[in-house]
Amino acid sequence: MAESSNEKANYVIDKALLAAAEFQQFTQEETDRIVEAVYKSGFNARVKLAKMAFEETGIGIWQHKVLKNVIATQLVFDSIKDEKTVGIISNDHHSGIIEIAQPLGPIFAVTPVTNPTSTVLFKILICLKTRNPIIISSHRNSINCCTETVRICYEAAIEAGAPEDCIQIISSGSRELTQTVMGHPKVALILATGGTGLVRAAYSSGNPAIGVGPGNVPVFIDESADIPFAIENIISSKTFDNGTICASEQSIIIEQKIENVVRAELERQKCYLMSPEETEQVSKIAVVSESMSMSPMIVGQSVETIAKKAGITVPPGTRLLVAKLEGVGKSHPLSVEVLAPILSFYVSKDYQTAIKTCIDLNYLGGIGHSAGIYANDDHRILEFSQLINAGRILVNTPTSQGAVGGIFNNLLPSLTLGCGTGGKNITTENISAKQLINIQRVCRRKVNEKWHNINHDLYLNDSLGESTLVKEYNKNQ
Amino acid sequence: MVTFDLNSTEKKMTCSFTGRLDTNACLKIVDEIGDKMKEIKGPAADNTTDHSIIFDLTEVNYIASSFIRICINTAKQAEKGKFSIINSDPFIKKTFKIAGLDELLNVS
Repeated sequence: MAESSNEKANYVIDKALLAAAEFQQFTQEETDRIVEAVYKSGFNARVKLAKMAFEETGIGIWQHKVLKNVIATQLVFDSIKDEKTVGIISNDHHSGIIEIAQPLGPIFAVTPVTNPTSTVLFKILICLKTRNPIIISSHRNSINCCTETVRICYEAAIEAGAPEDCIQIISSGSRELTQTVMGHPKVALILATGGTGLVRAAYSSGNPAIGVGPGNVPVFIDESADIPFAIENIISSKTFDNGTICASEQSIIIEQKIENVVRAELERQKCYLMSPEETEQVSKIAVVSESMSMSPMIVGQSVETIAKKAGITVPPGTRLLVAKLEGVGKSHPLSVEVLAPILSFYVSKDYQTAIKTCIDLNYLGGIGHSAGIYANDDHRILEFSQLINAGRILVNTPTSQGAVGGIFNNLLPSLTLGCGTGGKNITTENISAKQLINIQRVCRRKVNEKWHNINHDLYLNDSLGESTLVKEYNKNQ
Repeated sequence: MVTFDLNSTEKKMTCSFTGRLDTNACLKIVDEIGDKMKEIKGPAADNTTDHSIIFDLTEVNYIASSFIRICINTAKQAEKGKFSIINSDPFIKKTFKIAGLDELLNVS
């Protein structure tokens, strides 16, 4: 008789619990030795795993997947290797507070088909660094490359002394099993990276979850921007792995006064500005109109493939398809997130209108995720940043590589980008090891003299107002 | 690593462990315990025993998940309720707690 999802879930979680029990006895040195060994093995397998991911999923560009694997190993390791994650991590004599890091327990990590091996490498490293066993659930279309990634990391971890079963993968790729594990009471945390449905399921599971859903990244090019530089950066970012990073640019928004310059630059740098008819043809294959969600068949595909599917002809060497849109929402399918080399283009009559379009795009499906601005005007940069609801506002920076951190800025390198409450996340930070520990605070007695000196009966006197009581509270200080 | 004190009259076997019970140590221990369990096999047709089994962890400062598995397997062979772990260090007690097995294995 086939095992039920409950039996399978109990089996992997029981093993993870034993691993958690053993892991919590490890010292910082023992933990760091394991993390370094896993980092090195993952890094050395970067090319093999990237090719596997590309061949299995048919998504993206393998050379770019190599770079993603490097970000997930080298840059992530550099950012966490010196971090204290075990035992006493700080001791502040002034405040009298000692902080102690404790592991969370088994972490269930759901990984996306767009960035399979890199996300697995990344999540394994941050979980091991915090002494948490990890159970990975891969998208069914990337199960082989993820299983191989787990095998490589697990062998290195065991060789370095890690607990048995500290890394596991659910091999079936079954949605039912994934949901059963998500809701299992012994799972400490879910690290969910994927589509809206998956992230919602993680949050509804009853377990704590850090979920990262879709982005819909607007990029405003201000008149003060270095336009050739801006276009060059946007193209390099949007074409990276054929646009599969959720922080990649979805739309560029400009004022009418710079339209001619921007158009000329887009064309000079081999972007193809589609006609309204061509835009409609591409929309039909790129977006499922009923749900207003991107079609899986174009995710991470090349310009040539998309053009062929849409039945349009583009010049050889075209790097991006650009669709000029007149609005945001259902009547304009390409205004939603599309993880492919297709970019929407908005020309607004003035600055105010342009920013309002950015806000509309931001709220259409990418609240809390990322946004970009190219400008050499600090006032506009800060105004845009305060109006946009995004965890990361990337200034004069390619958004896909900028948002993951460590390359164009000092954000923490991460493949899990917090989207704040707008994205139903608890944080807007780039997720890393520091979110995977429980910090206990040992609080030594440090008496608040003001509180002890005031006569507390005064607070019971209803005729005394705030100013009198505060004055009394601060008396003789 | 492990010594056995068998009291046939009281039908009780105490296994006293010492040191760091990591995965390698457990590879040796598992065979030694297996042999002893055969010696005290009960009248039933399966591998169970009619003896009480006590694991004394007074001298233990670390346990791997392999050791917890040994505890689970041994407890299954002991008569119901006649397996216990005694004298565990607080850190070891917490380890069983995290594994969710402190009650099942009668850890004290």
